[in-house]
Amino acid sequence: MCWQRWGVMSVTLSKLSLRNAKRQAQDYLVYFVTVVMAAALLYSFNALTFSQEINTLAQSMEMLPAMVAMATVVVVCVFGWLVAYATKFMLLRRGRELGTYLLIGLENRQVARLFFLENLAVGGCALALGTVLGGLLYQAFRALTLALFKQPYRFSFGFSLPALGLTAVCFGLIYLFALGRSRKYIRKAKIHHLIYFDRLNEGVVIQTRKKRRWIFGASILLGVVGTGLLMVRDLAIATAGAGCLILFLFGFFLSFASGVPAFFDKRPARKYRGVTLLVFRTLTAKLATMGVLMATISMIFTATILSEGSGLVFQGLFEGRAAENACFDLYLGVGDGRDPTVYTDYIEENIPVERSLEYQVYLSGGHTVRDYIESQTVYYYFNFVQEPVLRWSDYAALRSIAGYRAVELPEGQYLFHCMTYLEDALKSYDRPLTFGDITLQPGGVYTEHLSQSGGTVNGRGYILVVPDEAVEGLEVHHWAYVAKTAQPVTRAQFYDLWDINERTSSGIASNAITTRANEEAEVATQTALCVFPLFYLALSLTMTAATILTIQQLSESERYKRQFSLLQKLGMNRREMAKALRTQFAIYYALPAVPPVLIGAPFILHLASLPEPGVMVGMSSPLSIVTISLGIFFLIYAIYILLAYTSLKRNVLPQ
Amino acid sequence: MLQVQNIEKYYGSKNNVTKALDRVSFDVEAGEFLAIMGASGSGKTTLLNCISTIDTISAGKILLNGVSVADLSEHELAKFRRERLGFVFQDFNLLDTLTIEENIGLALSLNHQDPGTVQNQVREVAGRLGITDILTKFPYQVSGGQKQRAACARAMVAGQSLLLADEPTGALDSKASKNLLEIMTAMNRDMGATILMVTHDAYSASYAKRVLFLKDGRVFNELLRGERGRPVFYHEILDVLAALGGDVSDVI
Repeated sequence: MCWQRWGVMSVTLSKLSLRNAKRQAQDYLVYFVTVVMAAALLYSFNALTFSQEINTLAQSMEMLPAMVAMATVVVVCVFGWLVAYATKFMLLRRGRELGTYLLIGLENRQVARLFFLENLAVGGCALALGTVLGGLLYQAFRALTLALFKQPYRFSFGFSLPALGLTAVCFGLIYLFALGRSRKYIRKAKIHHLIYFDRLNEGVVIQTRKKRRWIFGASILLGVVGTGLLMVRDLAIATAGAGCLILFLFGFFLSFASGVPAFFDKRPARKYRGVTLLVFRTLTAKLATMGVLMATISMIFTATILSEGSGLVFQGLFEGRAAENACFDLYLGVGDGRDPTVYTDYIEENIPVERSLEYQVYLSGGHTVRDYIESQTVYYYFNFVQEPVLRWSDYAALRSIAGYRAVELPEGQYLFHCMTYLEDALKSYDRPLTFGDITLQPGGVYTEHLSQSGGTVNGRGYILVVPDEAVEGLEVHHWAYVAKTAQPVTRAQFYDLWDINERTSSGIASNAITTRANEEAEVATQTALCVFPLFYLALSLTMTAATILTIQQLSESERYKRQFSLLQKLGMNRREMAKALRTQFAIYYALPAVPPVLIGAPFILHLASLPEPGVMVGMSSPLSIVTISLGIFFLIYAIYILLAYTSLKRNVLPQ
Repeated sequence: MLQVQNIEKYYGSKNNVTKALDRVSFDVEAGEFLAIMGASGSGKTTLLNCISTIDTISAGKILLNGVSVADLSEHELAKFRRERLGFVFQDFNLLDTLTIEENIGLALSLNHQDPGTVQNQVREVAGRLGITDILTKFPYQVSGGQKQRAACARAMVAGQSLLLADEPTGALDSKASKNLLEIMTAMNRDMGATILMVTHDAYSASYAKRVLFLKDGRVFNELLRGERGRPVFYHEILDVLAALGGDVSDVI
């Protein structure tokens, strides 16, 4: 009899759970989509780490599982926080319903079980959908990684069981943590508290206005100081800066809501202008009770922008450095008068070469150009005590091997070949140069990549190109060799050349060995190791924070609906209501994003300007990186804002 | 000022039509205080909603100062509501995020009045209604009676010509109800406000100069107070309610 009753009850509970789960999915669609995306992201990155194909693309790629695992730990924590927050939020919003279950005779543990089951159902659906989506996402990441390594891609959909298992474990941890907390809460909850929770006034952390104003002023100061300290090249000081910024964000958001009413109280004319009154009061009412949450979200956004910016800076750095050195299939620079034949003998025997050039880099005997550059640019890093010089015939051959267009050297003139950051300075250099008894006039500046970043390469940032006869009598700085090979130089061949280098010299400082294939593989590896995890982190952080903001906003639908219904009766037209909603929306979503932009933009600018000149150029220039970082952030953010706005507009504005 | 001419209002689909208002006609003069009474479901709130342009009529005409409200566009209707009509609801309908002053000022703000003069106008009206002390408070910090007085202030601050009150004393205790009705009487008498009040409470209706009785969507009876005292008028209202056929307790 007892078993029968329990059986009937559990069927009823299951049905109730299923129905509630369905309804919950409708009410919190944005949250559900984010959880699905979380599962997809976790699965796709787990699949990357378990992929033999990916991990064997390069030797350093063996590090990928460790890098992704570190990011995954943070991502699981972040998504754990999201699920725990959203679950508790939904629980409290449904307090009346859950309290009613208790009122009609269900026990706390049964209600807790009901809530647990329906959330588990939502989580299970999200995991299932997310895994399928993750399978597709993994294909996208796989294609991207293979493209980075210039490997062919072929679509092959399948599931990785270890990745699936790990994703299930991560998801299990996230849900068990969140549901454990809710279960504990419900088991201890009193009927009265659940039923009347929605009538409770939300707590305000800082009570007195004077205190809030003081904290507001101090927090702004901490924000400015913290941003400055963050850019100091000292770990302890930068950490102190980060601490200041955290204090700034919490102080700012906890005190902000009090500053705005005070501002408008002193300026009533402004308050009653247009829809200002409605917008500012709706916002301050919300912000007054969610200061801690706003500060946390702002902190997450700051971490997002910094992650994206750092990822782009690293990518730009790897690409910028590699591009300069990857202009030849093979480059060798041998200094200190060492014997280069050990290398050329190896190359002759092992590497099929289509075309090659052996040449010398000379020293001019003076440094007037270098002095001029130093006077014109903020930074110039030099290895050459005197001006580095190339013979015109060598230069022309180098251009040809690198695949650049042919250029002319007019009689009686010299050329500059430099990295782009020196172009403007050298274009303005108009003095003649003398080599022995030959005096040459400036003839032009070229800026293609020419392996100009190092000691035994084609100059440090720039090189002079002079007629062949002008180098006679000049001191040789180093011997160099470039080759256009029939096939890309393999990893094994590259390591063999380094072995020769290590066998024949006391160190590697005076010699340079670069291959296009190795540079490109390095870029691909570094990008996969640094940029992927950082973007993985950034995406997860943005999604989490934007979802919480959106849940907060959509949960107010009923209140907004009542408000706009009243305003309609009072004669506000729909256009004005839409404008009020839009303005309020814009400020609500802009507020937690403004401090991160103000902190992130100068930090990224600073970080991107740290590498040596000539590396962070074009799409990787500091300004471009800031723009792209913010662009990516706001693009993802805008999707959430748009979803929330259209949903709210449809639900709350009178038809 | 207000002419209601043979208005009808139907709800429901083709096969299941409910007639909420059935050829209702009456006029309201400027400066009049009119109460509309009836039991639950008699159509009084529907009538008020149609007059206030929140709901549309199925047939007939509603003219306010000679203008047919049915001929107005959505934009004109919104303008009409904010310039001509003032509302007082049973559940106050004050915005809980705004202070009392701001709730009253909202009506002026919506009317695009000079923002610099809003605060003074609000204070002037609040002074007349005796709520100056609570202007900086939020609705949850004041009593029901004070909230309703604030609602009255909002309904008249922008110079609205017709005040529509839907069960204004419904959520108030007897003392607060009496206070509010006296204020409404003063608004009508001293400020010339035209008031149309829907109520099922005979005591509240006895403050009006005229009472219309609705039953099943039709005007059943009309009672004029004339020179009679309020207590006498109150008993007359009760008599009519008894004659309406329902239990008197339904409408008291």
